[in-house]
Amino acid sequence: MKRLLPVLLCSWSALAAETTVLPKGGWMLDAAYMFSWIDKQWANYESLPLVEEIRRYEPGQGLQGILRPRPKAEFDFLMLQLMYGVTDRLTVGAYVPIVLRTRISTNIEWQPGDYQSTLGRPYSLQDFWGWAGSMGQQPVPDHWTGGVKLADIVLAGRFLLPEFEWMKKHHFRWATQLQVVLPTGTNADPEEAVSVGTNMWELHSAGDVEVHLSADKQFLVDDKGIYRFNVGLDLFYAFMRPREYKGGHGLKNPLLNNTAPYVGETYWVDGGDWLAGTLSVDVVPWIGPALPTFVSGQSAERAAALPPMLMLTLSYTRIQTFQSDWQSNSPLWDYDREKYWQAGEKNILRATLTVSLLRVGAPLQIYARYQAGDLIPGRYTRPANIFSAGVRVLAKFW
Amino acid sequence: MRTVFLVFSAAALLSSCAPLERPPTRETIELRGNPYERGLSHGQQLKSKINSFYTTLLTNSLFPYLSREQPDIATLMPRYASQEYEGGNFAYQLLLDSAKNVERRIPVSLRDEMRGVADGSGLSYEQVLLLNTFVDTTLSVRAVALAIRLGRAPRLTSVTFTGVGADGVDNDGDGQVDEPDEGSFSPYVPAHFANVVELPTDAVIRLVLTDADGVDPATVRLFLDNVLYTADNPAVATRALSETELEVTLTPPAPLPAASRVTLVVGAGDTVIIHDPPPSHASFMRDEELTFTTVGAGLAPEEVLRPELTDGRTRPAPVAFGVRRSLTDTGGLYLAQHFSLLDANTAHKHTVVLRHVAEDGRATVTVGWAGVVGGFSGMSDRGVGYVCNPSDTLDNGVVGTVLQNIADLSQAQLLADGLPVVLMGRRLLENATDVASAQGVLEQTPHVYGWTCLVGDGTGAMAGSEVDSDVFGEAGDGFFPVEVGGVNSTNGDNLIIGANYMTNVRDSPTLTLQGQRFTPQREWSGFFNRSRRVFDAAKERLDAAGGPIGLDFIEGLLGDPRFVDNSDSMNAVVLDFENLRVRTAMGEVPATAAPFEAVEVRP
Repeated sequence: MKRLLPVLLCSWSALAAETTVLPKGGWMLDAAYMFSWIDKQWANYESLPLVEEIRRYEPGQGLQGILRPRPKAEFDFLMLQLMYGVTDRLTVGAYVPIVLRTRISTNIEWQPGDYQSTLGRPYSLQDFWGWAGSMGQQPVPDHWTGGVKLADIVLAGRFLLPEFEWMKKHHFRWATQLQVVLPTGTNADPEEAVSVGTNMWELHSAGDVEVHLSADKQFLVDDKGIYRFNVGLDLFYAFMRPREYKGGHGLKNPLLNNTAPYVGETYWVDGGDWLAGTLSVDVVPWIGPALPTFVSGQSAERAAALPPMLMLTLSYTRIQTFQSDWQSNSPLWDYDREKYWQAGEKNILRATLTVSLLRVGAPLQIYARYQAGDLIPGRYTRPANIFSAGVRVLAKFW
Repeated sequence: MRTVFLVFSAAALLSSCAPLERPPTRETIELRGNPYERGLSHGQQLKSKINSFYTTLLTNSLFPYLSREQPDIATLMPRYASQEYEGGNFAYQLLLDSAKNVERRIPVSLRDEMRGVADGSGLSYEQVLLLNTFVDTTLSVRAVALAIRLGRAPRLTSVTFTGVGADGVDNDGDGQVDEPDEGSFSPYVPAHFANVVELPTDAVIRLVLTDADGVDPATVRLFLDNVLYTADNPAVATRALSETELEVTLTPPAPLPAASRVTLVVGAGDTVIIHDPPPSHASFMRDEELTFTTVGAGLAPEEVLRPELTDGRTRPAPVAFGVRRSLTDTGGLYLAQHFSLLDANTAHKHTVVLRHVAEDGRATVTVGWAGVVGGFSGMSDRGVGYVCNPSDTLDNGVVGTVLQNIADLSQAQLLADGLPVVLMGRRLLENATDVASAQGVLEQTPHVYGWTCLVGDGTGAMAGSEVDSDVFGEAGDGFFPVEVGGVNSTNGDNLIIGANYMTNVRDSPTLTLQGQRFTPQREWSGFFNRSRRVFDAAKERLDAAGGPIGLDFIEGLLGDPRFVDNSDSMNAVVLDFENLRVRTAMGEVPATAAPFEAVEVRP
């Protein structure tokens, strides 16, 4: 079985509106638990299992049967973000995704193949694994669980661009953001029948380098600068760097993973870049009281300018992906991978509810988010669904 | 918003401007120079495919599969338990031993060419040698293994068709009418043609199955006229005649259709479950097919064409035919073949048409696979062409080397001997100038395994042959010509071959050596019944053509479901002698899912 390539989307997300930055000297620590699951990939707007069917043949005896895995992968992540306001316009941060646990159910179905005269029947799945076992190939497990692994760390900086007068007048802000990934994640194990990697290509959650240009337009802004409604737009380009992988030698799975003799000891995957955009809407149904506490330096006026207590954010992200390129010694093998990573797109809907306690004296924000990757069909991408909940601790040392 | 729309439109345009193209799964390459240079060019041009073909077909599929036989073989031949064959090395070493033994039969020029392939592809010479010899060796070893396995399985030893003893007809084609044992076959021997004709529609069929371990009645399976009968069906009665014999009586619940061709498929397993190698299973007999006609059909046994079988258990065998003169639109000769044997979901991705242009300018074309210097079909610029199908036989080179040590099997080795058919084909194309000399090459070549071949030339001459290794020293010296107009033809201008012998029907004697029973092909080969049926289907289609046929008809015929093995179809070929063109459909499974493409034999 080919390894799974999970695809999540967990972009740098602690800040609500697209242009929000921390004040100078402000810190924010965001810790979130994220549960993600994925069980399909898109072809041309068509849903396919994550792993291609495997046709098994008995030499000269025809088709034994077809292994049809319908795997479902579930991930538990701990997401840690630390951000710092260098100036009132520049915020820098680091984003550390840690995979706490991975669970994969392979859900293998078996379609019997040709009649086998020596058995007096077509192969059943049990027959097949018995046959394969006699050649050193152990059954692919029904369930696989992986442990704690660090994914690629993201470093980011967001700069709130200077506003023109008309922008100030109309509550219009714009910002730019640069993200760079540190290669701390791992590749999938080429010898395992079921394995996942944690680098950004495998997670497909962010580019290795991303350049963003964002804008927000606020509506119904009060005299403290608190808005009731915000429309944001974020356009970005994500660059994927080529990654080197090792070919398998079939040391553990001789019938499934022996590719190195023709693929090569190593091969490269140059993931297709992304051109993407997010349209978001922030709605503030309740601003809440403003109490003079240590958070606001005992100032009621400052407290009134702190974020509203309840905010709902809805967003739609469309990511246009470019063709990914496998580069091994075997163009045929490359093609069998590239055909699932043609130029395509993914469509992501998100809803986030944020409760902020800053105004009442607790430097905390609590949020919950649901992200649906498969409500709107896409092409040649893998849609993940994610539920996450987190808490942000904010501090400013005056 | 309009800007956003434009940006995404532009992105969609950019990201779709270079659609992904599948690399070719069939290639045509031209090789020039001396043999080594041609091999080097072959290796360099197809380096990637040669490596993937070797790994995916041999390393990942065939080697582990053959290695399962090691414990059984080592029990009989202790040398295969030695260190040399351990550590998963059994199959590779076994095939390599044979390849090296075969190598001495290979002309120097072809060895030089294989060295070139090795140097160009990065495989070792031994690996390339193995790639060019494994088909014949594997078929030989598999034949031995299959014969051993079937030796443990039930055998159909007696068949009786009732109601034919007083109908005034020679029902069994023995030249006698209503003799005492008319309609009774004991011992039963599989027939090339119909077993009986003009059977009453209410006939009862009585069978006796024999197995040293006893026949399990619950495994009895009868498939008559597209209806399945198992032991729990009231139409089937079983009775143990002894510990080793089971009588099975089938009384069809409704009359059979009159004036029809009917097939009865008989299957059964024994009472002993074999656990090693897995999966666990009883020993099952080959699906035995009995063919007959019902009253009113008016056909003699040899006139009965086997009807199509739709039991979901059978796959067509390889088939080839030649048509010429009165039967073709141009009057020229075409040889056509749908070859199937071992695709394993990989061979079709590595198909190649090689055009060799030797230093003297002579050109030949072979249809094969990356890294293989010949093919199962080909044509030369002299206008000589051939196609060959496998024909299972125990009269093969591997059995020959075992027989040399039959008195002391501890010294015996499974070694192929002879020239593999793909290399024989090259020799034929390089030396033959007409059908007679092509037949001469086939006759003089020591063959590793059994094959049926058709050859033709630009004059419209064609002939067939059935060959084996002649290890039993019987008549024919392993070469049996098949002439136009005989049993393989429906008239003077066509010739059909399947994957079984029609002339060399006593390819192996019936004898028992060291407890192992040797029998002719028709008693054990998995191809036999399948081949007979596809052979008859070809006859039927050619006769029904109703006039001269052309390439469209022939290529359509090769794609007829009755000739297409959806699992192991490897290539479909039409040799057009008048135009010196080789037309091939391949690169897909089945091969005829791909369009036919023509290659000129002359550069």
